[in-house]
Amino acid sequence: MARTLIAEIVTPEKIVYTNEVEMVVAPTIEGEIGILPLHAPLVGALKGGEVRVKDGDLVEWFAVSGGYIQVHEDRVIILADDAEIASQIDVERARQAKALAESRLAELGGEGEEVDALERDLRWAEVRIAVGTAH
Amino acid sequence: MPNLRDIKNRITSTQSTRQITRTMEMVATAKIRKSQDRIESARPYALAMMEVLGNVARFTGGATHPLLEAHETRSRVVVIAVASDRGLCGAFNSNILRLTEQIIRDEREHDAESDVIAVGKKAIAYFRYRGIEPIATYRDMADKPSIADARSIAIRVIDAYTAGRIDAVKIVFNRFKNVADQVPEIHDLLPIRPQVVKAAADELTVNPEYVFEPSAPEVLERLLPTYIETLVYRALLESAASEQGARRKAMKSATDNAGEMITTLTRTYNRARQGAITNEIAEIVGGAAALEKK
Repeated sequence: MARTLIAEIVTPEKIVYTNEVEMVVAPTIEGEIGILPLHAPLVGALKGGEVRVKDGDLVEWFAVSGGYIQVHEDRVIILADDAEIASQIDVERARQAKALAESRLAELGGEGEEVDALERDLRWAEVRIAVGTAH
Repeated sequence: MPNLRDIKNRITSTQSTRQITRTMEMVATAKIRKSQDRIESARPYALAMMEVLGNVARFTGGATHPLLEAHETRSRVVVIAVASDRGLCGAFNSNILRLTEQIIRDEREHDAESDVIAVGKKAIAYFRYRGIEPIATYRDMADKPSIADARSIAIRVIDAYTAGRIDAVKIVFNRFKNVADQVPEIHDLLPIRPQVVKAAADELTVNPEYVFEPSAPEVLERLLPTYIETLVYRALLESAASEQGARRKAMKSATDNAGEMITTLTRTYNRARQGAITNEIAEIVGGAAALEKK
């Protein structure tokens, strides 16, 4: 039996995923990294994108909105602001969220206190659309 | 002699009040569980976050960050008052409002003016009434706070702090000690005391050599705002659970009091009824006796 690692995807609101797997691929702000068992201890910052978890022939995809990754002794923790498993992403709703955020942003014209939050919503919607349609 | 019908009316109205308070008590009891579950679900993230923070802190050493540095002067303070949208929960709101006012007074003694961020309709209404216009208000989220709410509050104070517009941020909320006990507490949010970061590092039992992507200071820079978010989120969750706890307690004593009142009123009612009957009999007997004499 191949050596495995424990993968955990945690958001402030709940534990999204936890399982024993063979490989984790995550999007750091400097590019995608793959984590295999016996990986060196690592702390990284993640950008919004796709996290892949591979266990044999089984691959699971997640949309994450950015956050952090910590690898230590075959335990991978992904701390995401938001995370959703690809199969459960409602692409239609993500599109609506995207359209809503875009129209609100256009209305505000890039000014005001809501802009940061709206841009965040927009990026998160785009990530969900990308990951949701790809899988 | 109290009127029989009046007493009867009071008993009926007290009974329906008791029914309402008892229902509210049960609703609150059910909600406590859900709120507690939410606190529990937030724990893994918070723990992992502290672990990462500790690891990063070990490798940044004396790194500086705007959120770690106290400003030279302290002239403007922001107090985040976390109250509720609804009343009927005992001293839950008044504790928070009183503490907030006290902070404002204390800061003023040290020549610092305070602004208030009001969470919950009760806090908003209170400060408006007192002529203190909150710089930001949040409502309809006290029941089920989301991380987005916490983030919105956190970003606001972080931006203001980094820009130098404010020099300190405190948050006042009811901590959920247990179902029966809620403790109003004041926590300092900003500046982040370096000891906090150092303590996170000291907590670690294993200290391997970490690789950082991109670098330890850069990760720290992103991590600290997220850390503030989780603190605010935690406070909101604790407050939500505390509100239900406080309401349950308040409604339980209201129900008990109503029960006591009903007992007393029923006793008065029976006595009055008995009195009336005795009176009637006395009158009839008296009347009969008068007739017999003739």
